[in-house]
Amino acid sequence: MDTSKYKALYLQETNTHLSGIEAGLLDLEKGSLSEVDNLFRHYHSIKGMSASMGYEPLKVLSHAEEDLLDRIRSKSLAPAPEIITTLFECLDTLKALVRLVEEDKPLDLDVSPLISRVRALSEGKQTPVPAQAPHETPVSAQAQAAPAGAELRISNVMKVEGRVFDELLTTVGDLFMALSSFKELSQRSRSIELKDGVHLLGKSVNALHKNILSARMLPIRDLTESLPRVVRDISGKAGKDVGLKIEGTEISLDRSILEDLGSPLVHIIRNAVDHGIETPSVRESAGKPRAGTITLSAYARRDRAVIEISDDGRGIDPEKIKMKAVEKGADPRKVAAMTRKESLMLVCLPGLTSAETVTETSGRGVGMDIVKAVVEGLGGALEIESEPGKGTTIRMELPRTTSIVKTLLVTAGSEQFLFPITKIERVIELSGEAPASIEYAGCKVPVVDLALLIGLSVSVPARSSTIVIVEREQEGPERGFVGFMVDDFGVELDAYIKPLLPPMSRLWGVAGITIMGDGRPVFLLDIPQILSRAANRLSS
Amino acid sequence: MSKRVVIADDADFHRTVLKDILTKGGFDVVAEAANGEEAVSRARALRPDIVILDIVMPLMNGIEAAREIRLLEPPVKIIMCTSLGYEPIVEEALKSGACAYIVKPLSEKKVLAVLDGLKD
Repeated sequence: MDTSKYKALYLQETNTHLSGIEAGLLDLEKGSLSEVDNLFRHYHSIKGMSASMGYEPLKVLSHAEEDLLDRIRSKSLAPAPEIITTLFECLDTLKALVRLVEEDKPLDLDVSPLISRVRALSEGKQTPVPAQAPHETPVSAQAQAAPAGAELRISNVMKVEGRVFDELLTTVGDLFMALSSFKELSQRSRSIELKDGVHLLGKSVNALHKNILSARMLPIRDLTESLPRVVRDISGKAGKDVGLKIEGTEISLDRSILEDLGSPLVHIIRNAVDHGIETPSVRESAGKPRAGTITLSAYARRDRAVIEISDDGRGIDPEKIKMKAVEKGADPRKVAAMTRKESLMLVCLPGLTSAETVTETSGRGVGMDIVKAVVEGLGGALEIESEPGKGTTIRMELPRTTSIVKTLLVTAGSEQFLFPITKIERVIELSGEAPASIEYAGCKVPVVDLALLIGLSVSVPARSSTIVIVEREQEGPERGFVGFMVDDFGVELDAYIKPLLPPMSRLWGVAGITIMGDGRPVFLLDIPQILSRAANRLSS
Repeated sequence: MSKRVVIADDADFHRTVLKDILTKGGFDVVAEAANGEEAVSRARALRPDIVILDIVMPLMNGIEAAREIRLLEPPVKIIMCTSLGYEPIVEEALKSGACAYIVKPLSEKKVLAVLDGLKD
């Protein structure tokens, strides 16, 4: 098998793993075992890829290290200092070998002394670490020696204006659209050259897109760095004692998303200080510590990022919120029928506040409508949980990158639409006309005709029907689903989604648009909107 | 009609090699997944004929993913992909619902032989 065409990909991924190993070893040296699983996986991946490429020294060395890490992982071996020192030395050798691959040079480093040391350590034997300077380790001088003048080398890190990346991303988006026309053409063509060419072009465009996206990623830390100061200032003004805990901020998001999150975050924190956290004396009499705590934690959930802001303050009383909403003119019957979760979301109504006093900086509710709009505008979702007396948690679930969405193409009526794949629970094909409901995962799932729901004319009854099952959020531990009947479905599609601009953005039920290979525009469905209309139809 | 395949491996490198081999061999790779969770959701949504699962993956490993995927109706054929040194785990994988396995390094001959050996 000709492996040369995979070399660039090999180098790119291996280098990522090598950086991961470096960070993991530093962590391990500090006595933390939390990264051991990842560390193990890095060695495992380098081994596997090197084996496929036929890079023997890289394969055997990383294999020996993988075994050692496996023993540490299973706690049958403790990460003693000589183990970590040896692993660092091995890392330098792995790097040297990868550099040789990069330069197309023979991999003529003798890794056997290192391997026997690693094996001895795996077996629990003490091996004296040779007291040598790194350049005397059994690694060829050519690979290790730094060229003269290395001290004055320009840094590998460059500062580039954010705008440049915005433009690059737009260009890649256009490339994607051009590419889909070629793909369409090559599928219809019999020319192998055209097929190969389009395949290669597609690979490069994907790689380009991936690199640009990763260059645009910034850790949430960049945004939260100044929050401690914000909390200090607001709580000082409000006469409260508030501590801020920040967790998990190394997770990164696209710059444009992070940028938009600044003011919502400050709004949420302000609300928490002004209306969530009680004054020290009130807290004391409620049996709570005098100082309140706000916790911001970020974590990844599948391909999305979740940012949670919790306070241990007085919480939101759903009944009070409901009353306020009715005072402000909401339909009392609708409000009365609301679930707990829905009534908490009422704080996002413009101008609604549950706090008896409105302070200089905020009233609970002031700004929450804006927060919700920003989060949803970014393709995210906002959730509020609160328990009176215990505190409030505001959760924002956000996409980590923009623009490319994995989708499933479906046909409904005379139109085609895109379903975001992450929202699909399952696709089921049935013969005959679709029933009014089906059984799935132990639930009775109502089936709704997507074309009818959207308001399209319905085509002739089909001999078979396809049902796309989507989970709907509901109260309680039980899961609920809705099935959408469509006429047909295609393959998974990486769609470059362009946001809708006014007046198109006011269209119901769609969240974006993409241009297909043949130039046809196809809408991306707005699943939350579609689900809520389906729920209304079903209940009426 | 060509068989629809979902491939799951955390290394883009292996996914690319595998996809090239499969495409050349006349299979239709309908989705790629970078971890077990993604593999399960793609298998659910796209109902491929075959899922190829790497064992060591983040979030959810290949064995755990196989246990979920084997519950799907109509059944999806599961092939495990293991690295050298992992042969003992193959037995566990077969118990978890896999019907065949491939030992890396990947080669065209090896991969296509395993896929062609699948019974319908």
